[in-house]
Amino acid sequence: MTVKIVTDTLSDITDELAGEWGLAIVPLYVRFGKQIFRDRVEISTEEFYRRLVNEPVLPSTTQPTPNDFTEVFQKLAQETDEILVIVVSSKLSGTYQSAMQAKDYMKGKCRIEIVDSLTVALGEGLIAISAAKAVREGADLKAAAEVARRAISRSHLIAYFDTLKYLAKGGRIGKAQGLLGSVLSVKPILTVKDGEMAPLTRVRSLNAGLDYLYNTVAGYKNIEGLAVEHATTPDDADTLVARLSATFPGQHIYRSVISPVIGTYAGPNALALTVLEAEKK
Amino acid sequence: MSKINVIAGQELRDMFSAATSWLEKSSADIDALNVFPVPDGDTGTNMMLTMRSTMEEAYRAPDHSAAGVAHAMAKGALMGARGNSGVILSQIWRGLAQGLEDKENFDAIEFADALEKSARTAYKGVSNPVEGTMLTVIKDAARAAREQVEEGNDDIVQVLEAVVDATRDSVANTPRLLKVLKDAGVVDAGGQGIYTLFEGALRYLKGETEQMRLRKPQIIVSELPYTAPLPQVSGIDEVPYGYCTEFLLKGEELNPEDIRKRLEKKGESLIVVGDDAAVRIHIHTLTPGNIISLATKLGTLHQVSIRNMDEQHQDFLEMQKEKMPVTDTAVIVVASGDGLNDVFGSLGAAAVVPGGQTMNPSTKDILQTVETTPSDNIIILPNNKNIIATAKQVQSLTQKKVKVVPSRSIPQGVVALLAFDYEADFKANAEIMEKALASVRTIEITRSVRATQINGLKIRRKEPIGLLDGELLVVGDTDLEVVNQLFSRLFLDEAEVVTIYYGDEASAAEAEAISASITAQYPKLQVEIIRGGQPHYSYIISVE
Repeated sequence: MTVKIVTDTLSDITDELAGEWGLAIVPLYVRFGKQIFRDRVEISTEEFYRRLVNEPVLPSTTQPTPNDFTEVFQKLAQETDEILVIVVSSKLSGTYQSAMQAKDYMKGKCRIEIVDSLTVALGEGLIAISAAKAVREGADLKAAAEVARRAISRSHLIAYFDTLKYLAKGGRIGKAQGLLGSVLSVKPILTVKDGEMAPLTRVRSLNAGLDYLYNTVAGYKNIEGLAVEHATTPDDADTLVARLSATFPGQHIYRSVISPVIGTYAGPNALALTVLEAEKK
Repeated sequence: MSKINVIAGQELRDMFSAATSWLEKSSADIDALNVFPVPDGDTGTNMMLTMRSTMEEAYRAPDHSAAGVAHAMAKGALMGARGNSGVILSQIWRGLAQGLEDKENFDAIEFADALEKSARTAYKGVSNPVEGTMLTVIKDAARAAREQVEEGNDDIVQVLEAVVDATRDSVANTPRLLKVLKDAGVVDAGGQGIYTLFEGALRYLKGETEQMRLRKPQIIVSELPYTAPLPQVSGIDEVPYGYCTEFLLKGEELNPEDIRKRLEKKGESLIVVGDDAAVRIHIHTLTPGNIISLATKLGTLHQVSIRNMDEQHQDFLEMQKEKMPVTDTAVIVVASGDGLNDVFGSLGAAAVVPGGQTMNPSTKDILQTVETTPSDNIIILPNNKNIIATAKQVQSLTQKKVKVVPSRSIPQGVVALLAFDYEADFKANAEIMEKALASVRTIEITRSVRATQINGLKIRRKEPIGLLDGELLVVGDTDLEVVNQLFSRLFLDEAEVVTIYYGDEASAAEAEAISASITAQYPKLQVEIIRGGQPHYSYIISVE
């Protein structure tokens, strides 16, 4: 029986990608006041960002319950006895813990491996896709989990934020705290390092930010996967994609939208770029 | 979510018991927020221990009414109060107990009343109340509760929600009120403790106990720019901190007010709280013996603690050194003007050497700063063409590795520092920063010090003159006119951001006018106005 792969909505895997690679997606929750929504299921990204910008109260987020995972596991257990779960960095969310508890509940009904991706967004998503590719090529659970774990250190997420306000208010700022509170208005460029948000540098304008993201990719020699995501500004993301396509013809560039739960911390106008380096032969 | 209109004694106890466990989870993080000289070294631990004593007493109380539980909490807090923050916390419970006097249970209005009592009692316990501390936070909490009930809200969950929001904002605001917090780039630790307690109580009322088990309270981040404090010249006017003296005085017919008056002149940070049977005293004094002998005449002393704060301060400095970010590379800049200091500090400069045009720092000044900066790899941004050579001399005078990125103006220094890459090493960063210098044009507006003729310009004394990248190009009647003339000479197609740093001799209003004029002529440019506070130059303008 083939291995089934489960990930969470923070991987920013689109419905099309999930269909193409047979991935099951467990949503986190985003809450505005008393209204609770399943990430991307009960609230669209457009609706979310509209409310994020317009409402006086900032949203908050919650990890999936162990039961959310158990339900998915039980459903998948009808067709397979091997499940690989790839989740958002355990330092950014409690999703990993919920998945672990759900695995306990399953009491060995099927073999489940949980991989802490130590990253987020398509940084996490491209790891899930590389594991799915391995499964398609015949990998069993152990081999597929190994592929995912090896991909972690090759997955580089670089994000341009319009503001650090949301990250700071949400308490996920991590090592990027040093970028806070500049007297000048600056746009932070961040990455995920050792599972936490970490600073890279600062720029003063969107164009300088796009240049930085573009130049980052140019710095990698062997690229296996590229992905570009936007929050509210698809045109800016498209500009970046066009520039990258011109430099890397033939390289597929995944496109997605930063999910509401991530958007709670990234805020509007954020852009994210993921480079998955190729494995050294 | 279910609504709660009334809270009985048992619930009061259980919600603050849950809040105590919640606080316990972040007590180490709260300890880390400490700034010396805050009277007690470990605010988080002290508050947590005070709360434990508070709740132990609450569980022992025979009377399960709200009044009975609150009274027991107040007693437990007073007996077990630790440190300054613990003592103030005990006052908060005392006020709450007074507010809930004779009440079997309480509703939203009575809760708001009791919180107001808490705030008032907390202020009363401290002889010199300081804003930007837990006092401000409890006051804001009480105000938020009052606002809610005045709007007719009778759901205690919602009232407490508003209280939690208000305390969160209040804590984030503490650095604006208290300079030591701003300088250290942290929020007030005691205030953070209060916020955490209310938040824990709220989560309990909302039935989120499972989440509380898995999660950890959030430490609020200061919203203010973190400005690197200038390197301190040490050993000149060190005032000794003395001894932090704390004890519980038990006796009969004690008069806290009277005791406070007698101790008031004997030290700093005096807190006297309690009742006629037990009084807790906290004071910073150079002569703890006098305090103790005075107190022994009034009753018996318990839990006596006398700590040498100078020693604590040394420990604190050592600890700070260890806590300093292990940055491989530190950047030192040369600048003058408090606004510019803040700009560089907030962008991560490790130190600012005072200096600039007409007051070039000496090699020794720079060397001293290099030596006291806690890093072995130092990049210097001289920010003036006349200082570059001086800065380079430092390289041969120190064991440390020093690179000079030859920034010739403040704007060049800013773009270089902005380009600093957190993941790059020393050498790569020096290269990245040097490369960034070319990405900015610098306009400087000043007054001619004498009549002269230069570059074909006839200049009268005190006339506004404009320099572009260090070259005197324009003279005019007003600063605005000079700026406009210089802008007309720039190739602005690729420019995006203009930053106007206005100096000591210029005004914000005038800077606004210049900004408006630039925006009117070049609507695509994003213009930012910053108070630089620099001498001599009315304006320094960067065009990126």
